[in-house]
Amino acid sequence: MKTLHFIVIVLFVVATSCTIDKTDFEAEISVETTEYVDFKEAASVTTGNYTISIEALNGTFYKGYNEIHLKIFNKQTGENLEDLEVNFLPILTDTNGNKVSCPHKYNLDYDTSEGYYLGYSVFTSESDASANWKLYINFIDNNQTHSVNQIISVEKQTNMNLNMTSFTGNNNEQYFIALISPQKPRVAENELVAGIYKYNQPTNVGGVFPDPSQFSYSIVQGHTLLLDPRMPEPSMGNHSSPNNKNLTQQSDSLYYGVVNYTMTGNWTLNFIFQNQDGQVIKGTEVPTDFTPGIEGAKSELYIDILF
Amino acid sequence: MKLITFIILVALVTVVNAQETPIKKDSSVTVLDEVILIAVRKKKIETEMKMAVSVDEFLASSDNISFIKRGAYAWEPLLNNMSTERSTITIDGMHIFGACTDKMDPVTSYVESNNLSEIDITSGQEGSMHGATVAGSIDLKRKSTAFGLSKKWSGAYQTGFEFNNNQYFNLGNISYSSDKLVAEGSISYRKAENYYDGENNEVNHSQYDKFNTSVGIAYKTSPLSSIKVDAIFDKAKDVGFPALPMDLSLSRALITSAAYKQFFENKLIKVWDTKIYFNAVEHYMDDTTRPENLVHMDMPGWSTTYGLVSKINLKKENYASEIQLNAYDNLSIAEMRMYPQDRSERTMFAYSWPWVTTRYAGLSVNNSWDISKKSLLNFGGTFGVNYNYSKYVDFNWIFNPGASQKKTRFLPNLYTSYQLNIADFNFSVGGGYGHRAPSVSEGYGYYIYNSFDRYDYIGNPDLKNEISYEANASAGFKNNKGSIQAKINYFYIQNYIIGRILSLGSPMNYQSVGVKGYTSLDYASLFNFSLNTKYTIFKKLHWKGMLTYARGLDDNKNNLPFIRPLSYQTSLHYSFKNLGLFTSLNGDLKQINYSPEYGEDETPSYTNWNISADYTFYINNYRTVLQVGAENLFNEFYSTYADWGNIPRMGRNVFTSIKINF
Repeated sequence: MKTLHFIVIVLFVVATSCTIDKTDFEAEISVETTEYVDFKEAASVTTGNYTISIEALNGTFYKGYNEIHLKIFNKQTGENLEDLEVNFLPILTDTNGNKVSCPHKYNLDYDTSEGYYLGYSVFTSESDASANWKLYINFIDNNQTHSVNQIISVEKQTNMNLNMTSFTGNNNEQYFIALISPQKPRVAENELVAGIYKYNQPTNVGGVFPDPSQFSYSIVQGHTLLLDPRMPEPSMGNHSSPNNKNLTQQSDSLYYGVVNYTMTGNWTLNFIFQNQDGQVIKGTEVPTDFTPGIEGAKSELYIDILF
Repeated sequence: MKLITFIILVALVTVVNAQETPIKKDSSVTVLDEVILIAVRKKKIETEMKMAVSVDEFLASSDNISFIKRGAYAWEPLLNNMSTERSTITIDGMHIFGACTDKMDPVTSYVESNNLSEIDITSGQEGSMHGATVAGSIDLKRKSTAFGLSKKWSGAYQTGFEFNNNQYFNLGNISYSSDKLVAEGSISYRKAENYYDGENNEVNHSQYDKFNTSVGIAYKTSPLSSIKVDAIFDKAKDVGFPALPMDLSLSRALITSAAYKQFFENKLIKVWDTKIYFNAVEHYMDDTTRPENLVHMDMPGWSTTYGLVSKINLKKENYASEIQLNAYDNLSIAEMRMYPQDRSERTMFAYSWPWVTTRYAGLSVNNSWDISKKSLLNFGGTFGVNYNYSKYVDFNWIFNPGASQKKTRFLPNLYTSYQLNIADFNFSVGGGYGHRAPSVSEGYGYYIYNSFDRYDYIGNPDLKNEISYEANASAGFKNNKGSIQAKINYFYIQNYIIGRILSLGSPMNYQSVGVKGYTSLDYASLFNFSLNTKYTIFKKLHWKGMLTYARGLDDNKNNLPFIRPLSYQTSLHYSFKNLGLFTSLNGDLKQINYSPEYGEDETPSYTNWNISADYTFYINNYRTVLQVGAENLFNEFYSTYADWGNIPRMGRNVFTSIKINF
């Protein structure tokens, strides 16, 4: 009987123990993507009685799209200053002293329910020894303008799902496309959110630096971003997915579409950027054939992602 | 899951413990013995041609079974020319589901001929006793030794060699029977190398290696009751599938059950038989053995099933009834992980079965009423509830946005048949109506590569139930010289599930040419005909003949795939004293009604001639049978209509085997 016990138990151990472990799917997806949901202070600057705190996801500015939460605190009165006029301007200075900016929201709106000034900045490059980013912030309190600036550090974007691209369109305008969501895609239907911006060429000679008219960007209105996601690896043979939807602008000015990822791995989002009249500003159609062993061709406008 | 495993473990240990309980020896054991003995039919898993057959070869001798073959191992049985989704395949009523998305492991591949006593094949809705079906059921019956046999110990050992693929096998089984306790065990090992086709070319990747063992212990708890625990363990490794772009590196199955049986004397209820069971199957595909693959993909699969079968038999005068409750819970998981040329590169991952749970509960009634001495009415049915749940439903939503994650279906099955015997003639007519739920692959499959038509298949969770309307009839004549029996059946199947090319999506697997989604045709119809004859030419010389024909059409009157063309088998058996001689001719005619749409091409006709001779003698009073034979004697080069990718079948195969019974 002892032996029988033993056999029964051994058989069960054999049955419940597998030779190859099942994949932990949640962990699998987390390997390449990190999802940040908490806003933390990324920079702070003090002028007189005022402390200005700038918050970003994970307390870090990354290359690409950054939502900015800005708070102004009066140390003397101990209160947060609400509904002020606040201007926000990021400037990149290279070793030659050339100054450029990036898509950003210049006039920050106060969000009463959340208690901060809401803005965004699409940093186009990382900070390094040859180039630094500086934030120029103005605000008017009690009819007095306060101006501060602060050097910040823009880190490398580690999550490829928040990549961005900048390009010159067929109309010689300069455009920027930055992915905003999903941070952590799933093998599923994902809502794809992007911001699309353009640089406004200054029409007049610049005044005193920093003159916002020289660093003007705007949200592109009413265009369409045609989407064709594909897996570029030769082994994947130009694999694509069904039921994707092109990105169109919604009420919050961002562009929304749907991307389906059929499996984890490297994906390329191939785009064709069209204006209101359907004219192509940038992008080419990619072949749709299944071509195993050949690296998939990309549109001239694309963003690579990985998850 | 862990909890359920624990409960079953406890239950089994309890059962094992229970056997230690001393029970007074009871002499009035005859009742139980008789009833059990009825169940032990002396039917062996062997054919007239070959005594050491594999389970597949044995099934192939039935007139309503055909096979899809992907190599030399694990053939997929088609019942009434319908694939395994449409039939229920059980072992002693226990449900088991293969863990391979490519159907490389039908249930029949997890048993061995020396642990089975017989195979019950029921055509159409009469087979719904074990669960919802369209084609019918195949129930593999385990060997079961009766209590209190005069011979306490008995067993058999069989070994043999087949020359074509250097297959050697050793099969042994032993049983012990006393008044109170029965124990039986079997062990087998088969190993084969690549086979050679009719042109003497080696068919690469057709080797296999299979180990199977089983134990069973039964204990009589009272004169009228007994308990039994059973387990089968099967392990196949290094199995080649020449028709597929990958092989099997390892598959394992553990099939366990604990049963309680209670007999009743002089009551309406005769027997109550209840069984709980658990089985786990794991299946690991491997394509690194194929250097031509530029991409490698690991495709492991797991299938775990818990279940209950409880059955009572009622009998009163000319009326007999069987009532059965069936319930099971299955979890099927299959993964795909692809490696680009550079293995260190990032892998890709997806589920081909995204953790799909299937729960089924059904109550079946089977009635048999002897209207008169000449006529019999069978009628019955099943009412089943089928529930599916896909854990990672996101995968299903890619092709079927918004599809249900949970789905409950009601599956009724009904049948009736009337049999009439007039003198030497017998006739029967019958009809059936039944639903079946889509299989895991049909409902939830995701990029399952089918190397036959070279499409990736996508399931659809919201497919409608397949509904079958069935009619069957048979007529026969039998006297002491011979018999002839003709059977026909016709199935009209609504919402027939089949893969259709999808215009959206692109393939994923390297060899694939496109994506197909499982969809429902409005209907399909299937017709099967078989004619069986036997004739005793003179006392020692018997002739047998068999003819089958089938036709399957979809709603556009196009051919369905895998429908067997006109096939025949004719054999002569001669016995003289201890010597037996057997010869047979079998083949298919040209497949005219093939289906290019589903990847078929025209398959030419073929004929195989087989011979065998056996000699029975005694070694120390142990009955020993020696057999020598040859299959495909003319070394014909052929492949059948259902050979995956037209892989050539085995050429001439000389086989030998010896069996000792003790």
